[in-house]
Amino acid sequence: MNTGVKISGAAHAGLILWMLFGGFLSFDRREPMEFTEVTLISGEQLAAMQAAGSAAPDTPETPAVPDAPSEPESAPETPAPEVQPEEVVAPEEVVPEAPEVAPEVAETLEVPQADVTAVAPPAPTAPEAPDGAAVVLAPEAAPAPRSAPRIAPEPSAPPEPDAAIADEVQEARRPDEGTEAAEPEEPREATAPEAAVTAIQPDATPDAGGAVAALAPTGSPRPASRPRQPAPPAPAAEPVQDDPPDTASQQAPADVAEDAIAAAVAEAVAESAGGADTSQAERGTGSAPTGPPMTAGEKDALRIGVQKCWNIGSLSSEAQRVTVTVFVRMNQDATPDTASIRMIEFEGGTEAAANRAYEAARRAIIRCGSGGYDLPAEKFAQWQEIEMIFNPEQMRVR
Amino acid sequence: MMIASHRIRTAPRPHRGGDQALRRHEVQPRQKGAKPMFLRAISFVFACVIALHTAPGESVAQDGPLRIEITEGVIEPLPFALPAFLPENAAATQLAADISNVIAADLEGTGLFRQIPAQAHIGSVTSFDAPIAYADWKAINAQALITGAVSVDGSGRATVKFRLYDVFSGRELGEGLRLGGATNSWRRLAHKVADQVYSRITGEGGYFDSRVVFVAESGPKNAREKRLAVMDYDGANVQYLTDSSSIVLAPRFSPTGDRVLYTSYATGQPEIYVMRVGNVRQQALTDGEGAMTFAPRFGPDGETVVYSRTTGGNTDIFAKRIGGAPVQLTNTPSIETAPSYSPDGKQIVFESDRSGTQQLYIMSAAGGEARRISFGPGRYGTPVWSPRGDLIAFTKQNQGRFHIGVMRTDGSEERLLTASFLDEGPTWAPNGRVIMFTRESAGAGGQPALYTVDVSGRNLRRLPTPSAASDPAWSPLLP
Repeated sequence: MNTGVKISGAAHAGLILWMLFGGFLSFDRREPMEFTEVTLISGEQLAAMQAAGSAAPDTPETPAVPDAPSEPESAPETPAPEVQPEEVVAPEEVVPEAPEVAPEVAETLEVPQADVTAVAPPAPTAPEAPDGAAVVLAPEAAPAPRSAPRIAPEPSAPPEPDAAIADEVQEARRPDEGTEAAEPEEPREATAPEAAVTAIQPDATPDAGGAVAALAPTGSPRPASRPRQPAPPAPAAEPVQDDPPDTASQQAPADVAEDAIAAAVAEAVAESAGGADTSQAERGTGSAPTGPPMTAGEKDALRIGVQKCWNIGSLSSEAQRVTVTVFVRMNQDATPDTASIRMIEFEGGTEAAANRAYEAARRAIIRCGSGGYDLPAEKFAQWQEIEMIFNPEQMRVR
Repeated sequence: MMIASHRIRTAPRPHRGGDQALRRHEVQPRQKGAKPMFLRAISFVFACVIALHTAPGESVAQDGPLRIEITEGVIEPLPFALPAFLPENAAATQLAADISNVIAADLEGTGLFRQIPAQAHIGSVTSFDAPIAYADWKAINAQALITGAVSVDGSGRATVKFRLYDVFSGRELGEGLRLGGATNSWRRLAHKVADQVYSRITGEGGYFDSRVVFVAESGPKNAREKRLAVMDYDGANVQYLTDSSSIVLAPRFSPTGDRVLYTSYATGQPEIYVMRVGNVRQQALTDGEGAMTFAPRFGPDGETVVYSRTTGGNTDIFAKRIGGAPVQLTNTPSIETAPSYSPDGKQIVFESDRSGTQQLYIMSAAGGEARRISFGPGRYGTPVWSPRGDLIAFTKQNQGRFHIGVMRTDGSEERLLTASFLDEGPTWAPNGRVIMFTRESAGAGGQPALYTVDVSGRNLRRLPTPSAASDPAWSPLLP
């Protein structure tokens, strides 16, 4: 940074000097010339206008107007060239500085590539850039460090990978290098651990070349779809391995993202719906269709269907203060089973008043349900039994 | 409501062993690693969307029957069918028809019921004991069905029996009832049947078998002739208790309905009299007090009378047992009048201008400090305690209009039921559901008439009377 500042400072100083000794004087000459002309013309014309009553002949002064535009043109031209060169020069000076910074970045990338290959697996959330870099560099750098000891320390890192994935990897390795191709399919996190876990690594090294052994760790985890590829492993192991790791590194994020989204959605649904689904499923009889949970709209439809027949106008003021809860078992055609209707509880009045209120509620259920309520047949299990709370608080006469 | 919401919230979430394990297997690896922020955001959005699709007050997890709360119904007359009662003998033919008509009129007059015309009937009742074809009555949306039969024996005694059915429930409401009485009291028989029907459906007592005492008026406004009269609650069977020789005011029934208190100007100044309705014998109640007495009203015991007495230009409230000595209950320089006992006889509500304007007060039946209960704009007067004890009806004058209103005994929940040029003098029906009052039309030719209104403010009706009428007082239900 200090060098850059110095360079920038030198460049700015040079620019200032260039401005001082450059065409600065030439611009000064142009400006006064044009300004003087304009002022003279306008003064004469104004004097002529005042002396002569008729201004019509003066209209030709309009040409003076075109002169005016020439002034603005000259004005912008003067500053424009001055500013533009400054800006252009600055970037040119900066450009050389950039290369200085770039190498620094390159160094940082190289260091992590070699060392990070072993470190990368434990860091799953690391940005994609280091992963890709690690994958690309692995085949090249691996041969040298490929020694078994490096693999040994890794085993402890991978706890997460599921057993299913681990099994597949082991089977794939035994046949040939092609098995290793299957391994790389797994996400990079799991790959490292598997290679370590499969202490088989030392056995594999003698069978395959050092390069192959090095590839094993790099192409770590992979989705279930990969296992089919083991068949073609016949071709050279290295090229095949190079491809899979790349694809794995590239596809992994997408696949993982899709799977994760699906899982997240499923989880969200499960969390928001809570135990509704299962509770209802458990509650439903074996033959009765349960369907998804009753929606608010479906419940409202039922509510409206009943309340339009709930007439409390003929009740006493005391009965109009009673809230009754009525149980009703529904037939599959959405009509109420009249024999099942009963009052579960009441609140707010005497039993006599509650009985009158219950009778009004009962009439409402039966009368409006004679043709069947608007209920979803596929959710019969959910509305097979209903408890209706008739609360006249908002309607009663005080 | 409370119970429902509580149950919903406390409904335990069932365990899901297998499913939970499977879910963990599928999702956990990625969760444990570290779910990217955007995934968390997506899951959060989905959770919000799903939460929005579920009503806030509804239970997502149903731990039993589906529960819904219904808070908005309808308030409309209940349709009923009343096929003409069956005459069981020839002598009862006309009587059966008349009784049927009175029953229907009673029920419809409440505004709570609506009769389905006979022309709309699909089914018919050919025998009082025959089973009911509910489908026929359901088809015409009859929610209640009343069947009956009438017979008249050789001694002129009529017998009426009836049954009430809940059509849509397909069962009888209560049990069949048989009533008997003299043929000439057939209207009371009809009213009794109507009272039973009304009570079984609404859950409160009826008021059809009751009477009203009032002041029948005739002649021009500046020379009005007034007589005490009594009639059925529906305006039938009007009988006059006094002639028009003297002005009579403010008649009030006794709790048993056998006597009437009223104020008469027979002596030139207002004085309280008590009349036995059965033999029309009257007796001065306050003749020895030497003062103007008026606005009498019986206590719940039927033996105590509370009234106003004006002495030396000051009016206070007094009480006395019939034949006993008066007891002064108020002693203020203001005007206290229109006292009315609470149903339990422990309190008295009255009007007073002690605060500068006419307002309502409540005091103990033994007198003492009074508590003001009316605070609205205008003037309040003629308070009457409801037979139920929960409300007080009153007359209110505000901005040139008169109103009949009700309020709770603590003055809260004041509601004005009517409004006109002149409404005054409310009286409660025996069941406390209906109020009768006087409404007088404006102008020189204005005449007072009796009106009824439901305590809800609905069903305002004019009572048919042979002449102008005022100052009604409702009797209790007749025995």
